[in-house]
Amino acid sequence: MKMNKIAIGALLAMATSGYAQAVEVELSITNLTHANYMTPRLAIAHDATVDAFEVGTDASMALAWLAEAGVIDDAQNADSSGQNFEASLGPVDTDNGSNTWHRFGGLLPPSTTLTYSFDTMDKPYFSLLTMLIPTNDAFAGLDSIVIPTEPGTYSYYLNVYDAGTELNDELNSTRTDITEEGGMPLGGYGLPGVAGAGAGPIAPSMGTGGTGVAVTVGFAEDGTALASPNEVVDGTDGPVHIHRNTLGDTSATDGASDLDSTVHRWLNPVARVTIVVPAS
Amino acid sequence: MKPNLLKLSALALLVTLAAGCADDGDDGLAGPQGAPGQVGADGSDGSDGSDGSNGADGQDGADGNNGQNGNLAVYTVTITNLTYGQPFSPASVVAHEPGYYPFVAGESASVALEMLAEGGSPTALIDEASTAIQFLDAQQGGGTPPRMMGSETTLVVPMLDADNLRLSVLTMLVDTNDAFTGLNAMDISNMTVGQKVAFTTISWDSGTEANIETAATMPGPAAQSAGGGGASAGFSDVRDDRLDVVHVHRGAVTQENADDPSREGLVTSILTEGDRWLNPTARVVVVRTR
Repeated sequence: MKMNKIAIGALLAMATSGYAQAVEVELSITNLTHANYMTPRLAIAHDATVDAFEVGTDASMALAWLAEAGVIDDAQNADSSGQNFEASLGPVDTDNGSNTWHRFGGLLPPSTTLTYSFDTMDKPYFSLLTMLIPTNDAFAGLDSIVIPTEPGTYSYYLNVYDAGTELNDELNSTRTDITEEGGMPLGGYGLPGVAGAGAGPIAPSMGTGGTGVAVTVGFAEDGTALASPNEVVDGTDGPVHIHRNTLGDTSATDGASDLDSTVHRWLNPVARVTIVVPAS
Repeated sequence: MKPNLLKLSALALLVTLAAGCADDGDDGLAGPQGAPGQVGADGSDGSDGSDGSNGADGQDGADGNNGQNGNLAVYTVTITNLTYGQPFSPASVVAHEPGYYPFVAGESASVALEMLAEGGSPTALIDEASTAIQFLDAQQGGGTPPRMMGSETTLVVPMLDADNLRLSVLTMLVDTNDAFTGLNAMDISNMTVGQKVAFTTISWDSGTEANIETAATMPGPAAQSAGGGGASAGFSDVRDDRLDVVHVHRGAVTQENADDPSREGLVTSILTEGDRWLNPTARVVVVRTR
């Protein structure tokens, strides 16, 4: 009997210490850009089997949805169902074994900070992704950092990656004077200047009338003329790599780009993520 | 010479005390006054005089004099300009305790920082830092030409602060409206004597002036060549950037491709492609020399 009691006591102690490690960390993100907004943040605590993005490797469909449209889950965009991060990671706010994730909502405007509490559920690594708008498929990423366990404040600076799933034409997706090749309206899930979940274009407003940057309206990537001068080809420029920045131009009505070269550019880093591990 | 003499007198005291110890009978006389402490090799207090055996306490010895710079830690700071064409202004180089920040990302710049970021003058920023309770020492560093290693700046702080020390180094990219680079309260605690650490820095936009890149709004040589520049083209108390907050600089647009069909460049800019940069912008090397 006595032995049993000791065994139970030891079990309780183990359970208690295990529970104490499931620390809720305080997670902050600051947008350091001049004029790029950031879509809802995908925060993932995970093990070594999960890799939300990997430089030098083609993007997953889930990453394409995040980088082109800011979409993480079905609730944001039903069309993404089965293809988004919710599909690849599992249900939100759940211990999915290999991971637990949360979508921290709202657009993050330039020079603002948002702070959240995030339960890492004892996973060893942390990743965070957020799309920059207005861009074709740029996202800021924090790639599998080891979650600190010692109490303290830890800061990380995020660079911008190009998902490589869309050519950086820098054309305003609300334009109707041009279409995708084949006559489809601009956009699909690649909507420069338009956030996921149906949000409208953001200020400062984009121009129109651009002829295209990485690809020119009316021409294929190799420069041959398309059948229609009002069509723009879609293509890829992967694998995932550090983004080369937007070009923009200084005209709201013509020039190459519908972005503003004096407004919409950035240099790395574009965001600071701070993790506070509380004293237990 | 003087330390040797004092050591001799201390020896004499030891002899006296040893003689006193031989007497284990009545209380002894009051112990002699302790010898004055030695002149500290590194400025610590002189040793107390030893008690006389069984007697009243001897008086404490007088404090030793501080050795020259004995209780101070000394650091040199050297900035290397990593850009192709952006000269750096004279730098504000400040050692301080934790809690002081020359700027906070996402918040408005102080007027003193605005003066550095727009006009390239570190004077007000050094003055501002020196009023902070965390302030320890500051120097104005020399300007640093593009692609060059700058001159060495020396900071002296109490040795007691070496285990929790911060360094703020800020300098303007003078061929810009309000770009600056440097370290913001970087932790340089617990450096050992002789240790060298290096940091690379990014460029910030003070958010205090619109980046129109004209000769009349930038202080540096690029503006001077275009008929502007100098102090009058530097600091202005008008704050006309999109948001009045410090953020990471997005780079110079320049006049390149302003007139071609892409319309990429900025027609009003007097800057050229050679005035562009990417991060990191500077390298700051810190050496603890004492």
